[in-house]
Amino acid sequence: MIELLLLSRLQFAITAAFHFIFVPLTLGLALLVAVMETMYYRNKNETWRKMADFWGNIFKINFAIGLVSGITLTFQLGTNWGAYAEFMGDVFGPPLAMEALFAFFLEGTFLGAWIFLGHNRQKLKAFSMWMVALGTNISSLWIIIANGFMQHPVGYEMAADGSKVVMTDFIALITNGYVWYMLVHTLLAAYLLTSFVIMGICAYHFLKGNNNEVFKKSFSIAVIIALATAVMLPVLGHGYAQYVAALQPTKGAAMDAIWETGSSVPMYLIQVPDSSTGSNSIQLLGIPGLASFLYTGSFSGTITGLNQLPQDELPPVEMIFWSFRLMTILGSLFIIVALLGLYLQKSGKLYTSKKYLKLLMWSIPLPYITITAGWIVAEVGRQPWMVYGLLKTANGVSLVPTSDVLLSMVLISAFYMVLLIFEIYLIKKTVVNATGVE
Amino acid sequence: MFDFLTHDMLAIIWFFLWCVIWGVYFIVDSFSLGAGLLTPFIATDKVQRTQIQSSVGPFWGGNEVWLILAAGGTFAAFPLVFSKMFTFLYLPMMLLLIGLIARGISIEYLHKDENPQIQKILMWGWFAGSLLISLVLGVAFANFFKGLEISSGGVYIGTLIGLFSPYALVGGVLFVLMSATSGALWINVKTEGDVAAKAGDLAKKSTLIVLVLALVYLAYSFMGIEGFTINYSATPALYLLPVLAVVGAILAVFFAKKDRGFPAFCSNLLAFLFVVESGLASIYPYMLKSSVSLEYGIDIFEAASSHMTLSVMLGGALVFVPIVIIYQLWAYTLFKEKIKETEQVDY
Repeated sequence: MIELLLLSRLQFAITAAFHFIFVPLTLGLALLVAVMETMYYRNKNETWRKMADFWGNIFKINFAIGLVSGITLTFQLGTNWGAYAEFMGDVFGPPLAMEALFAFFLEGTFLGAWIFLGHNRQKLKAFSMWMVALGTNISSLWIIIANGFMQHPVGYEMAADGSKVVMTDFIALITNGYVWYMLVHTLLAAYLLTSFVIMGICAYHFLKGNNNEVFKKSFSIAVIIALATAVMLPVLGHGYAQYVAALQPTKGAAMDAIWETGSSVPMYLIQVPDSSTGSNSIQLLGIPGLASFLYTGSFSGTITGLNQLPQDELPPVEMIFWSFRLMTILGSLFIIVALLGLYLQKSGKLYTSKKYLKLLMWSIPLPYITITAGWIVAEVGRQPWMVYGLLKTANGVSLVPTSDVLLSMVLISAFYMVLLIFEIYLIKKTVVNATGVE
Repeated sequence: MFDFLTHDMLAIIWFFLWCVIWGVYFIVDSFSLGAGLLTPFIATDKVQRTQIQSSVGPFWGGNEVWLILAAGGTFAAFPLVFSKMFTFLYLPMMLLLIGLIARGISIEYLHKDENPQIQKILMWGWFAGSLLISLVLGVAFANFFKGLEISSGGVYIGTLIGLFSPYALVGGVLFVLMSATSGALWINVKTEGDVAAKAGDLAKKSTLIVLVLALVYLAYSFMGIEGFTINYSATPALYLLPVLAVVGAILAVFFAKKDRGFPAFCSNLLAFLFVVESGLASIYPYMLKSSVSLEYGIDIFEAASSHMTLSVMLGGALVFVPIVIIYQLWAYTLFKEKIKETEQVDY
């Protein structure tokens, strides 16, 4: 049973993390390519067309894996989390079905149209890409509505026999505050990632001395998005974290590893939590009252510590703590990198700043890592609950043979590795060749 | 919303919609699956491969969403069935999943790299994915019609090997061949030149095999499958479904022979649709029929979501399904020209 639960969780973690490698870039590039197609339609400037084609090619390669790897997640809700599906179907099923109906059909149908329409039918081509962008972004809304319920159940009642949740208010599912905090955070992060990928790719070409209009223009758009999203993420993320800490005190306390209940809680710049002792093994450079301020908005505010919360309802503290730290540190770094980029560009030194361009290139993986860390905080931080306060993860698993899960996990993981390598190879080739950009 | 409908009525409406969605999925995906099944055998070079790829390229993604809708709709309207169906058939579902991934990636990446070796691997990936999807679904649906080995208390006692009964194998092969025929006729209609002619010739033979196999399958269903005729005896009008299936298969043979690709294509879809619906009509009120004893099956009333959930979903479906159908049909009119050997789209 332990092995079954562990393997089922591992398989879901692997496949969900894999899926989300492709989602953020899809969300961001869909909108940007739609803008480029529209600009080309409006003013017939060849640079816009080349931009749309170049980024569109990357979009296509990236989108394909995002599309197919999403199916894996839907399937697993039945194959591996059948008990969860029975418990949650009444509430969780509708957003999933709505996602297919409102979003996937738009994406799937108009993606085909966009790919196969030539620039001689530019109006339709641009329109199709807008529909793809609409589809992908609406899709994120529906799936976050479903996830929002798992984080903060609303608009439901328990069935008389306690066996499942029953929806009582569909609108409440949509207006769930958790959904909107999470949606804004996820979308901003996706746009940030997109802008860093674009800047990194442009940097590669600038380094090669390839300063043509396509990359210059792409960079100048991306750097603005990067700066705007990098600043908005922590500002809005702060409100999000406060909101989460109030609703899920266990996740909240784990994010900064607050062990003991107290007021005027300091935040340590250097801190190593240790859940075996229920304390920090190292804590240095404490800023008095900062944790209280961040959690409650008051420097003297009270935070409930992990040691005072129900011990069987704690998530793995170290994992949440380090993921949260990693996310916030990298998040701060993004602001600096974006500011620097804007400054260098405005002062005309960008194309000769070799070190900065190299930094940009090597920064491409960072937003991916940051986003994964963020998801770990959100989803592992919810543990041991699958649906917060209602269903433990251990009670959601399908009782299938452990060997079946092992087999499927190995098969899917191996298959995914091949796909990932091939995808990176294709994207790299597209970036390096930059066919049609000259 | 829909307060004038009782919960049972909503459950029945959703069962009906569920049957429609599955039927639509099978026919709209059939030609992309068929194209994948046939490409290695009828395309002699990259030019012809690209013709076939371009004939399904604009459509396959949007069409596959009907499968996702079928899964999501099952989850929303009948969570118990969603859970049990996927749990009981764990390994087949994983195979289906791998087929779906392989197929999607292969179509999209087919010619993204110039290396002919890679192109060849992807062509076979497209074939293998299409084969897995149509075979697994064919075998699975035959098992749904026959009944899964569900014992008392909803305990599943079936085995993987047990799923491959002769009936299920006939079903699997029939689904594969109906898809292949659909693909052949689609290629015949949508492309020009050598590849179109070869596909047309192939369809002449395959429509005949489909007709024979469909007759065998339906006869087997009505005479060899326990409980299959119960609903038919109660409501003889249902016999229209298998009749339409056979009529479709006969017309497909007839039109294919006369080289009238488009009517033949539609007739084959008619056959496919009603083979599926004939089976689905037999299992009501069960969604997961039990072959151990009918009473152990999971019926729609037991599996259905709450009145609220079914109503919300019905509202969503009534508004959005027609919209989806309209823009999907529009997409077909966008790309109605035949694909020539000389016009290679950069895909």
